[in-house]
Amino acid sequence: MIPQSHFLLLGAALFSIGIFGVLTRRNAIGILMSIELILNAANINLITFSKFSDNPDGLGQIFALFVIAIAAASTVVGLCLVISIYRNSKTILINKINLMKW
Amino acid sequence: MMSGLIQLLNNHGISHEVIIKATFYFIAGVTLLFALFVVLARNIFHVAVYLAITILGIACVYLYLDAEFLAIVQVLIYVGAIVTLFIFTIMLTADIDTGSIRGIILRVLVSALVSLALFFILVRVIVMTNWKVALPGNLPIDLPQLGKSLMLDYALPFEVISLISLAAIIGAIVIGKAEKK
Repeated sequence: MIPQSHFLLLGAALFSIGIFGVLTRRNAIGILMSIELILNAANINLITFSKFSDNPDGLGQIFALFVIAIAAASTVVGLCLVISIYRNSKTILINKINLMKW
Repeated sequence: MMSGLIQLLNNHGISHEVIIKATFYFIAGVTLLFALFVVLARNIFHVAVYLAITILGIACVYLYLDAEFLAIVQVLIYVGAIVTLFIFTIMLTADIDTGSIRGIILRVLVSALVSLALFFILVRVIVMTNWKVALPGNLPIDLPQLGKSLMLDYALPFEVISLISLAAIIGAIVIGKAEKK
């Protein structure tokens, strides 16, 4: 039997890797991918707590399902914004997108 | 073939429990390795493939947590839809990273420091907390039970999710539509 803390450690490691990616990536698509890693780390934690709880009613799994649905919706809109930005300014590197900066 | 392999290992004194543990830690290690590739690789197309492998590893971890339905949904939605969308977007926005290197080393160092500090705080909290051991009679959640609670107890969030999906589809079409001259 694998202890609960090892699943949580896996989630924590994935979360930290995702944070590192969000902070270092210059490509907007790369930042969206790192956000996917963070959301997956949160899902691992939700399902772990759902399995190891005293009263297993599957609430954590339902919550993880909603997280996956919202992640899909946000990714679709984010990628659309990336395409729109590329069409207007011919770049998706976030340090070159300075339309609203003075 | 798989059961024959397990039988062979059992004959050599390796129990079923050890095999399950070994495969879990192997899958977790591969997942973390490819997650690191996702944030470190230069070529953005390779990053999309590494992300697909990472997500498949996470789906395997869901199987260890008795969440078979979540594992299937993960493979269908993430690998089937989201990674495909990422690859389409990468192809539509060909932009090679040719910016100056100046200032990036400092940023990588500061980011590594921040994420490592966060990781150590999380590890400390997880290790110090006294987690309860799961009760032996804890039955896994089966699919009919999951569907029932989704349709009865959580019907309102379910409907809200479908509205959000519709809004995202329409919004994506409106934003991504090419402007007519």
